[in-house]
Amino acid sequence: MSDKDSKRGGITRRSFITTMGAGVAGVAASGALFSGTSQAKAPEIHKAGEAMRITLTINDHPYVLLVEPRWTLLHVLREVIGLTGTKEGCGRGECGACTVLIDDIPRYACMTLAVEAQGHAVTTVEGLMHGEDLGVVQQAFVQKDAFQCGYCTSGQIMASEGLLRANPLPSSEEIRRGVSGNLCRCGAYTHIFEAVEAAAEMKQK
Amino acid sequence: MPLPEFEFHEPATVDEACRMIGELGEKTKILAGGTDLLVNMKKKLLAPEHLVSLDRIQSLAQLDSSNGSLRIGPCVKAAEMAESDVVISDFPALQEGASKLGSPLIRNLATVGGNLVTARPAADFPPSLIAYGATLVLKSNHGERTVPLTEFIQAPGETVLSPDEMLKAIVLEKPSPLSGSAYIKLGVREALEISLLNVAALLTLDESGGTITAARVVMGSVAPTPLLSPSAEKVLLGETPSDVLFLDAGEAAASDSRPIDDFRASAEYKRAMVRELTRRALTLAFDRIQTQ
Ligand SMILES: Cc1cc2nc3c(=O)[nH]c(=O)nc-3n(C[C@H](O)[C@H](O)[C@H](O)COP(=O)(O)OP(=O)(O)OC[C@H]3O[C@@H](n4cnc5c(N)ncnc54)[C@H](O)[C@@H]3O)c2cc1C
Ligand code: FES
Ligand code: FES
Repeated sequence: MSDKDSKRGGITRRSFITTMGAGVAGVAASGALFSGTSQAKAPEIHKAGEAMRITLTINDHPYVLLVEPRWTLLHVLREVIGLTGTKEGCGRGECGACTVLIDDIPRYACMTLAVEAQGHAVTTVEGLMHGEDLGVVQQAFVQKDAFQCGYCTSGQIMASEGLLRANPLPSSEEIRRGVSGNLCRCGAYTHIFEAVEAAAEMKQK
Repeated sequence: MPLPEFEFHEPATVDEACRMIGELGEKTKILAGGTDLLVNMKKKLLAPEHLVSLDRIQSLAQLDSSNGSLRIGPCVKAAEMAESDVVISDFPALQEGASKLGSPLIRNLATVGGNLVTARPAADFPPSLIAYGATLVLKSNHGERTVPLTEFIQAPGETVLSPDEMLKAIVLEKPSPLSGSAYIKLGVREALEISLLNVAALLTLDESGGTITAARVVMGSVAPTPLLSPSAEKVLLGETPSDVLFLDAGEAAASDSRPIDDFRASAEYKRAMVRELTRRALTLAFDRIQTQ
């Protein structure tokens, strides 16, 4: 494990979660075995109802997991590993609460099978932390007060992070389009757009 | 929201995929981006026993524009279509459809092939693909066949694909240099919106740039399947482009459309919008020929 890896451990997200007022403490990785081994090649056929062994790389950590083929990445993140920063809203690709990065591209985790995430780098909101410090986009969301209830916030942050990784200085139109797959029932949109702008500036420094 | 149980298969090649769907039988579904299939499974509308994922077959996820045509792998994502240089320069109507599909996150998952096979009347890819004269390559264990897209989609949710067949490629000829095209999607909001209706238009002029030698107007969401308007084509062929001509073509397209009243809008409103969107799409297509 590299230095960078060790800084991004599972527990450091707590201060962020507290800041967001979501009040959900992290559960220790039940059923998830930490492993230093490299990516295992998956067999071709996975039986229904039968747990299979896969390796997922999440926030730079390899996790060896027993999963069923029908489990979504969202289910595995929250219920198997205990990374509860990623939220479930609609469960069917309409709200964006479950947004994570897969190879730097924002994707709905509720619409991605865990099996299919093998061999790709998954980043969740917990993975944006630097030790106990918030990542840049997270800081910008706090500074600009870009949420009310906070339920959509991890998704908004991940969509914004993905946007900024692909396009470091987006126009305001590009920001609006970039988070247009993420609904906010509290209507914090104006502040969300400001936060993304602020994050882009902060990342330049 | 849990998915029902299924056996999961990850073939590495097209041949392997065809063998699997041939052998596994009726209760098998191909999985591409999953934005239709997984939603239907979560809603318990479908419970396939086997899912055959195309995720690992790289050849299906490629755009190939060598030798004058565009060959689209069925697993090319909407986001890739929206950003591809060839699509932007030579097939702008496709780019417009791709960039309006769902949301950015849906576009990172949704594939062109899934959009065609799912055969929804409001889908964003079929109208432009029909305007560009797309043909589809279908493959099974027994061989390949080629079907024009106009014949592929039979009814909402129904295509000519047999259970042991898969869509292998979508092929388009590059339009001639004196062609212009456009796609307009009408919805009540900008993102996460299924078309209220949509119109794709393609115009080709003769060498002097004076008269129309080819014209296609294709409408979505105004009939059970995407509709190529024969009357609009008749109005446009052999004529000189003008505002009045495009209005007449809109009228003709509206007369071919067969919209129904539903919770989204009345048939009357939809017909009026076909007229207007056709006029706008043709105007845009013509502008694009002139600014080339
Ligand atoms: C929130 C949301 C918004 C949406 N918005 C839009 C929109 O604005 N416009 C629009 O057009 N659509 C929209 N859709 C529908 C959907 O995203 C598209 O139809 C998409 O292109 C489907 O592609 P997919 O790869 O996800 O298909 P999948 O769900 O993987 O597959 C769809 C069907 O096609 C079959 N299939 C896929 N590939 C092949 C192949 N190569 N050979 C044979 N069969 C195959 C599958 O078995 C399945 O039956 C939306 C969906 C959601 C969830
Ligand atoms: S929970 Fe995944 S998009 Fe709503
Ligand atoms: S802050 Fe409440 S849903 Fe966005």
